[in-house]
Amino acid sequence: MAVQVKTQTLPTFKKLRQMPKEEQYVPGHRTCAGCGPALQYRLVTKAAGPNTILIGPTGCMYVANASYLCTPYQVPWVHAQITNGGAVASGIEAAYQALIRKGKYQGELPNVIVMAGDGGSTDIGLQAMSAMMYRGHDALFICYDNESYANTGIQTSPTTPYGGNTTFTPPGKVIPEGKKLFPKDPPQLVIGGHPAVKYVATASVAYPVDLMNKVRKALNVKGPTFMHIHAPCPKGWKFDESKTIEMARLAVQTGMWSIYEWEDGEYKYQYRPKEFKPVKEYMKHQKRFAHLSEEHIAKMQAFIDAKVKAPGVPVKIPVPGPRQEG
Amino acid sequence: MFNIPKGREVPFGCVTPAPVGEQPMMITGNWREYRPVIDDEKCNLCGNCVVFCPDACWQFNEANDAVVWNAKYCKGCLICVNECSHDALSKAYELDFPDGVVRLEKPF
Amino acid sequence: MAKEMTLSGCAAAAHAVKMAKVDVICSFPIRPYTATMMELSKMVANGELDAEFVHGEGEHAQLSVVYGASAAGARTFTGSSGVGVTYAFETYSPISGGRLPVQMMIADRALDPPGDFGSEHTDAMSARDQGWLMGWSENPQEAFDNHLINYRIGEDPRVMLPQFVCQDGYFVSHIPGKVQLPDQAQVDEFLPPYKPGTHVLDPRKPVSHGPQIRPDQGAIMDLQRAEAFLGVPQVIREVVDSFNRIFGRNYDPFLDQFMTEDADMVFFMQGGHAATARHAVRHLRQKGVKVGLVKLRFVRPFPTQEVAELLSKFKGVGVIETSTSYGGSMGGGNLLAEVRASLYDCSKRPLTTSFMAGLGGDVIPLHEFYWMAEVLSKAMRAGKVMKNVYWAGFEQAEA
Repeated sequence: MAVQVKTQTLPTFKKLRQMPKEEQYVPGHRTCAGCGPALQYRLVTKAAGPNTILIGPTGCMYVANASYLCTPYQVPWVHAQITNGGAVASGIEAAYQALIRKGKYQGELPNVIVMAGDGGSTDIGLQAMSAMMYRGHDALFICYDNESYANTGIQTSPTTPYGGNTTFTPPGKVIPEGKKLFPKDPPQLVIGGHPAVKYVATASVAYPVDLMNKVRKALNVKGPTFMHIHAPCPKGWKFDESKTIEMARLAVQTGMWSIYEWEDGEYKYQYRPKEFKPVKEYMKHQKRFAHLSEEHIAKMQAFIDAKVKAPGVPVKIPVPGPRQEG
Repeated sequence: MFNIPKGREVPFGCVTPAPVGEQPMMITGNWREYRPVIDDEKCNLCGNCVVFCPDACWQFNEANDAVVWNAKYCKGCLICVNECSHDALSKAYELDFPDGVVRLEKPF
Repeated sequence: MAKEMTLSGCAAAAHAVKMAKVDVICSFPIRPYTATMMELSKMVANGELDAEFVHGEGEHAQLSVVYGASAAGARTFTGSSGVGVTYAFETYSPISGGRLPVQMMIADRALDPPGDFGSEHTDAMSARDQGWLMGWSENPQEAFDNHLINYRIGEDPRVMLPQFVCQDGYFVSHIPGKVQLPDQAQVDEFLPPYKPGTHVLDPRKPVSHGPQIRPDQGAIMDLQRAEAFLGVPQVIREVVDSFNRIFGRNYDPFLDQFMTEDADMVFFMQGGHAATARHAVRHLRQKGVKVGLVKLRFVRPFPTQEVAELLSKFKGVGVIETSTSYGGSMGGGNLLAEVRASLYDCSKRPLTTSFMAGLGGDVIPLHEFYWMAEVLSKAMRAGKVMKNVYWAGFEQAEA
């Protein structure tokens, strides 16, 4: 049975002025002013172009965008449950494979892109994401990471940093750091364990040309691809909404976020600082970390120091786990 | 068979047409307290404001020789002012302008 | 080429799905429906069926995959049993509300606890409020036919709703029976290719499928689906009529009757145990008991009008309950309440009672049907029922 192969090749570009002019994520959405996820959505869809179908699991990028009975998506978009973004995308991709092969659809295989939050990718949506990677569907899974379940009012997710104040990890007498757990590493969940995946990349809204080019590269790959995009959240992280890009940049400069590609087994870094700024430089701007003591910040620093050494090497967290004394 | 009050109808299967160019059912220009103001003399067309706006409210004009602001949708987050590379953008109080937008009674 | 084969219910379903030329299938194994997917995978591997066979990572994923595929314009098929049916529960309302005519086969199975592979209708019945069509097949022939019938009804533009096509686990899914397979040409005449509405996901005609509605629109979304359901019975009548014509069968759209012409009392039931009931009815008739059988073919939409008109002709109705509704109004199963509600406005109403039978994989042996008829006769002689619910085989000596 023939597999429908995408023949389009989206070209990469070097300069910001060369980015496509057309918006596929248009003005007129109920996201917060300064919303990082909204910006990455705009850039991703701009890079993908009009031959695209979007899958939107429940989350900020569903509820805030799709209120009420109207959306900013100029391309076809379908709601999915927070649990099943990867599965719904698989179904759409499979449908197009069949419909094109059987002559029921005359056209190029569309880009199929899942826009899932960190919860919808690594927590409640993990199963569906992994299965899509395993089955080899020609689709791109994007995890936009605002480091919480933001839409429901900022609750902790598996990518919330250690010490992050959320409404499920508030600091208190017994738990002074608020959040005791260290986060999952989403790209590492995908890399190495899914033989059909040939390209995984991280990106940040602070480096938009890099982000858009990676989206195009991922879409050009014939098979499943995964991108982890840092999308700061002014409401959740508690910083002034004009500083969204600044926060994203500081994350990279302190090592809290790494920008890299993994392609056919090889890692390649982008924007890797020669010297990392201390994590305090990043954390001091965000009230979600305001309750942390020097001791807590030192633990975060130790974790980041280990994490930036080499990708793919499991990081031993520098503190006892939640069930151990320490 | 039933009497659906006007304005409360829901389309078949909850499927709505996709927007073209903008989504006028969610006008957000009335959110802002401050608006960005540009000094075209200083602007070097670096494109930061164009690329960093989550609401796509700065665009290059046809001739690509200036950037144009979208008053209808700008939420006033001021990312553009923060990221401007040549101090061409500054913030100004919205209600100082004759066309300053007042918050509507109903948010939508 | 029309031919007769001996097929299990699972295999019969697979043959129907093949002849329906589905585009996307999503599998996940669970007893007892798994054999259908095994058959379909062979058909796909051999090139007999051109479809994408997607290995779902679980039942919730199966339904999610076909939700996406149907939204993209494909004819889809999936299935499950028991706790698989309940694991996928989150997806049933989005699929129905999104007006996607997905078809799901349910070879029913008792729900945990504990792991019991036996047949019981509770798994599917627990989803009966979710806005899907639902009905049981008595044997592999009816299973084959019902899969095709349900595609045609579900994809009708006046309906556009998903369908649960159910059959008793093991009793129908595994016990082979004779199945008349039609010509592909007959199937093509009855079931044209799926024509998705304007709500299809197509980059050439962009739509937003499923945005958040305003708080004051929630009730209207429900009302729209309710309205759609009100129109379904008419479509069922037309489709079954067309099916009978093209395939030479003789189905009533809603209620199958056996020896009811001069019956005083009837058994009322759905599913595979009706096969045993028919024998019991014949034997009882030989003994002079004027009993008949009414078999329900669609429990959703429930044929309220038809049930009222038919059952009010009899003096007694024994409802066989093959599913449980703990704490329900009747204290037993689901069907008695629906039957009584349908009969409520009739000037002449039969005595009705119910018998919990065929649960947890139990067979309903002939002597239990005889016992039920005796209980019902006693009630009719006394002019009233003693109890609403009898647990067949477990009651104390005095009925």
